[in-house]
Amino acid sequence: MFTKVLIANRGEIAVRVIRACHELGIKTVAVYSDVDRSALHVRYADEAYHIGPAPARESYLRIDRIVDAAKRSGADAIHPGYGFLAERPEFAMVCAEMGLVFIGPPASAIGAMGDKAVARMTVQKAGIPVVPGTEGEGGLRDEEIMAVAPTVGFPLLVKATAGGGGKGMRLVERFEDLPRALTSARREAEAAFGDGAVYLEQVVEGARHVEIQLLADQHGNCIHLGERECSIQRRHQKLIEESPSPIVDEDMRRRMGEVAVRAAQAINYVNAGTIEFLVDKNKHFYFLEMNTRLQVEHPVTEAVTGIDIVKEQIRVARGRKLRYTQEDIRLNGWAIECRINAEDPFNNFLPSTGRINTLSRPAGPGVRVDSGVDEGSEITPYYDSLLGKIIVWGESRPEAIVRMRQALREYRVIGIKTNIPFHQAILESHRFHGGQFDTTFVEQRFSMDENIPEELPRVAAIAATLVAHQRGQQAAQMVRGPSRDMSNWKLAGRSEQTRK
Amino acid sequence: MKYSTTVGDRTFVIEVNREDEVTVEGEVVPLNMISIDQATAYSLLLNNDSHEILVDEEGGDYQVLLSGHLFNVHVEDERTRRLAQAARGFTPASGDIHIKAPMPGLIVAIPATEGQLVKKGDVLVVLESMKMENELKAPRDGSVSAVRVISRQIVEQNQTLVVLS
Repeated sequence: MFTKVLIANRGEIAVRVIRACHELGIKTVAVYSDVDRSALHVRYADEAYHIGPAPARESYLRIDRIVDAAKRSGADAIHPGYGFLAERPEFAMVCAEMGLVFIGPPASAIGAMGDKAVARMTVQKAGIPVVPGTEGEGGLRDEEIMAVAPTVGFPLLVKATAGGGGKGMRLVERFEDLPRALTSARREAEAAFGDGAVYLEQVVEGARHVEIQLLADQHGNCIHLGERECSIQRRHQKLIEESPSPIVDEDMRRRMGEVAVRAAQAINYVNAGTIEFLVDKNKHFYFLEMNTRLQVEHPVTEAVTGIDIVKEQIRVARGRKLRYTQEDIRLNGWAIECRINAEDPFNNFLPSTGRINTLSRPAGPGVRVDSGVDEGSEITPYYDSLLGKIIVWGESRPEAIVRMRQALREYRVIGIKTNIPFHQAILESHRFHGGQFDTTFVEQRFSMDENIPEELPRVAAIAATLVAHQRGQQAAQMVRGPSRDMSNWKLAGRSEQTRK
Repeated sequence: MKYSTTVGDRTFVIEVNREDEVTVEGEVVPLNMISIDQATAYSLLLNNDSHEILVDEEGGDYQVLLSGHLFNVHVEDERTRRLAQAARGFTPASGDIHIKAPMPGLIVAIPATEGQLVKKGDVLVVLESMKMENELKAPRDGSVSAVRVISRQIVEQNQTLVVLS
């Protein structure tokens, strides 16, 4: 039974895993790059090892340096978090070779689902419907893709076979746009995953993204923990997630869950994983891909099931049998998560870098904040822009929504731009309230400029005027020269002395 | 001190009487504003209505973030206004716009070419940063008078990439 875990990650997920380990009495080892020395995960861990310069390729993606840190610290297990090396089969293999327990699925399962084209083929063989697209294994050349594209039909999606997290994807409306989309997608995929191979998928109109959380032990038991609705996305990056999904009823949950478990068992899956589905307007669901790791949005499932997924991951990795049967799993209440990114929603979501001078987190009943940053943190361009997540739980969806609105009001970040105003705007939107949105909602049917309360422009005008006035007065004072050329303390001291 | 303050298409005449009172469009409004972080965050009590506001100065104008909405506010005091009105007789030059890198990154594509005529919203440069590709677009119609970078070049924050005339 391992007693020391090295977390091969950074930011909020590293903090999350450290928390779970400490609760289980397990010692933790953090790794950090040049720019992460003062990061929260380094401060929370029991030990911390420097692994290289800022760029991920020279630090968090360096398998050799991470394994070295594990050896030096005496860690006997590794948790990969999400992103970075979490879905690289070679990392899982190296861990196994080095006698380190990899807290996740076996390398074979990672590989089976890692190549999205292979994954589609594998589950299709198990009788699971997939989103229509290119058949067979990936690795198609541009000419082959151009040749088969008309059969797939337009609009279509170019997707990276090594992909995930919405990167390396391009929507193509017309055949003429395909060459440029291929180049662009390949380039982004190459940069993000080290592999520029792509495949094509049909665009399912009005599709919603609904995924099922799975948990499987090393003894052949596999259960699902219900679904998450993740259709609020921008450029294929999830921004708001919730559980349950407004469009999934008990029966659909049961059916999706069964299919998901079947897919996992087809590859002898172990540990936590998620099957992503696209659900069309008629509530038919199609396999999209499987994520063989812990997901960013896992907290919404934790909130409605009461299960600590990271602790279960550790228990499974320790060889324990699952503590729950499918009948034990109940979804209670409603949870919503907002991903807080360092991006400016008023300027095309351009990433924002800089120092967080002030940070105030929301709190209160049913409010959880998973954060990787603190006051004084430097946000650099080397990693993705996720600052943290707000997760709220309510007895009902409406309660969760108002709770999130209040939490967003309280969350104050000064020094960099954040997408908090974006979340506030979505949470005000009628369509979001009604649960009527698909994956095109943010990009096509939503605008930041709507619904500005009437009285606000006047308040803004007054505030700006007061600030301008204040600055004008200060400037005038500086020009006039100080009325005294000594500090107040000195003055007070002098007058004290003269009185004596 | 009297100010002429514009938000979008609305202009307010605001007179700052004292630290705790202004007159807006003829109406006297008691208020209290304090700085929270001695930089950009303020708590404003306007007639006892409580507002948390972030005010950033950007190129002479103010960006005010209030209740999740961003306002661009232009404040002119009386003297500046009179001067500006006098100057309006001259045709203002459009001025070159320098498209700068909003953060450090890698140039992955430069769709813009020197001499090219572009429309507002056209993609000029694609910059890879924070693991995503960011398209830098033309803020207005114009012509590309200079391209200062090449593909695969690493650039620093605020480095000029393209000049738009």
